[in-house]
Amino acid sequence: MTRMSELRTDPQRVWIDEEGPIPPDSWGRETSSRRALPWGFAFVVILLVVGRFALTPHLTAPALQTWATVFVAICVQALPFLVFGVALSAAITAFVPASFWTRTLPGHPALAVPVAGMAGAVLPGCECASVPVASGLMARGVAPSAALAFLLASPAINPVVLIATAVAFPGQPLMVVARFGASLAVAVLVGWLWLRFGRSEWLRIPSRPQGDGPKWAQFGEAMRHDLLHAGGFLILGGLAAATLNVMVPREWLTTIAGVPWLAVLVMALLAVLLSICSEADAFVAASMTAFSPTAKLAFLVVGPMVDLKLIALQTGTFGRAFAVRFVPLTFALAVVVSALFGWLLL
Amino acid sequence: MVAAVNRVTQNLVLTLLGCAVLRISAFSTTYLNYVKPGFRPFLIGAGAVLVILGIIGLVQSFRQKESSSGSDGEAHARDHSREPTPYDLTSQGSGDPAPYDLAAWHLASQGSISRGSAHGGSGDPASRDGRAPGDEDHAHGHDHAHGGPRIAWLMCLPVFAIFLIAPPALGSFAASRDDTPAPRSQVLSAFTPLTGDGAVDMPISEFIGRAWDDDKKSLTDREVRLTGFVVPARKKGQWYVTRMQIACCAADAFPLKVAVKGIEPPPTDTWVEVTGTWIPQTFGKMPNGVIYPQLSGRSLAKVAAPDEPYE
Repeated sequence: MTRMSELRTDPQRVWIDEEGPIPPDSWGRETSSRRALPWGFAFVVILLVVGRFALTPHLTAPALQTWATVFVAICVQALPFLVFGVALSAAITAFVPASFWTRTLPGHPALAVPVAGMAGAVLPGCECASVPVASGLMARGVAPSAALAFLLASPAINPVVLIATAVAFPGQPLMVVARFGASLAVAVLVGWLWLRFGRSEWLRIPSRPQGDGPKWAQFGEAMRHDLLHAGGFLILGGLAAATLNVMVPREWLTTIAGVPWLAVLVMALLAVLLSICSEADAFVAASMTAFSPTAKLAFLVVGPMVDLKLIALQTGTFGRAFAVRFVPLTFALAVVVSALFGWLLL
Repeated sequence: MVAAVNRVTQNLVLTLLGCAVLRISAFSTTYLNYVKPGFRPFLIGAGAVLVILGIIGLVQSFRQKESSSGSDGEAHARDHSREPTPYDLTSQGSGDPAPYDLAAWHLASQGSISRGSAHGGSGDPASRDGRAPGDEDHAHGHDHAHGGPRIAWLMCLPVFAIFLIAPPALGSFAASRDDTPAPRSQVLSAFTPLTGDGAVDMPISEFIGRAWDDDKKSLTDREVRLTGFVVPARKKGQWYVTRMQIACCAADAFPLKVAVKGIEPPPTDTWVEVTGTWIPQTFGKMPNGVIYPQLSGRSLAKVAAPDEPYE
């Protein structure tokens, strides 16, 4: 019976009825598991064809359409980065020998953490790309603490993001410096803390195929696997982010902006909820004119490290035991460090 | 051959999503409702990768299906004897207590990559025993047995959204929901003088920038033409000609509004070209609260919604 349990249709209304625009028939259906697999996809196709004529004329409520636009936008925006990250991760596992990493990174994990954090400056991707890449690094024998430092640093301090920040905050070069410094500091601190206190059973390192088969077959296989996992979670995160994005009125926030410590916390929480791509978040932060520079910095530091779609991706990739520890730790450190940097620099 | 079908389904889902992405990027300009124009090559690339991966996977699994014999069941028996605990977590079918049991599906998914990926780094040497080169059936029985994760079904949702709802560009609903003032265009410190005769076409962002930040008041007495959609105003006697501005995707959109006076408001969400002159603000300093620059409207023309709805 085990083998019918995956990719099948069973009552998953928790996700769908609340947020899904159109719960597909197949989701709520109790099919015998032997038949579920072929029929599941058939239902999807039938619903698409029938729904095109039967449902589309009725799905026109402005709120629904706005929600759907934001949802599709988040998915469409993140998908190329996800595909890129997954391809890079698969390439790391399929083509780069494990010995490369042991030669490149310092032998001692405590030294490898800052080096890996700095290496994050090279990968020009957003956070969706960094999760599969970090898991690929771990699968290749890189110390988890170093891979985690890379995971946190790379979406925040890569050149594309820093240039976007400079464009969004013209005449405030210190904002770019503070973002770089605070993000790198958080990444390294989290890496060290994980090295000191982390336990291996919390972290589920995805295993990879190795050895047999031509390299290209391995590459395709690893990509397909990662896409099916990370893709589903990306979309889960997109659902949550789109819902909050449409439902939280932003003018609530301006009333909070007056209280400094509260403003920092609120902007940090907002970064988590809105789940904006790290390449765009600087523009959004700049548009929150009511908030202090330190609060904006908190938004910029927290956003690439903790947000809804990342939490979903990390839970899916590294397991729940990992996420419940890693996410709060990162969030708390990011808030504290950005408050510190904001107080020193801005 | 349920296992092989499962494999087929995974690849079909990938292909379907890839087709949806290609549909909005390569074969139409719908993607402009969601992201910036420059993003098109990346979307086409991502869609193509998904379709290619899916099709290669389909071809592979059909080939394997033809070559496989009836030893599948045996392979499964062996899987179970090998690692009973993790896989049993997901094996309860619809009786799963928590449909959202991430750890459980994750454990199950460990075995799904391919042969040899049997379980998550536990290092059990037994996991490697099925991978002798000639042992195709056993190895594949193992793979497919724990095939794709259930969450992969979610990848159908954007496809539904794209094909069934066909989400349009953000309109008056989003524009009136969000009352944050547009960020001041700090870059445009030097405005070029407006030359030429007649009405000047300009983006709404430029109009706002010139209205608030131009020391030389270049808009004074110039007739300008703005294109945007109609958003009703709470104040009487005016409405907003509006354009959404996006930095990256529609999730970060914010409205750019110019209040139009002197023309009856057209129906909400109609795209219009409105011609008129700027009404200089009477206050010296920016007041608190949300305020929009004003335009004294002279004429109005309905236009078709542009391909590129955002600024």
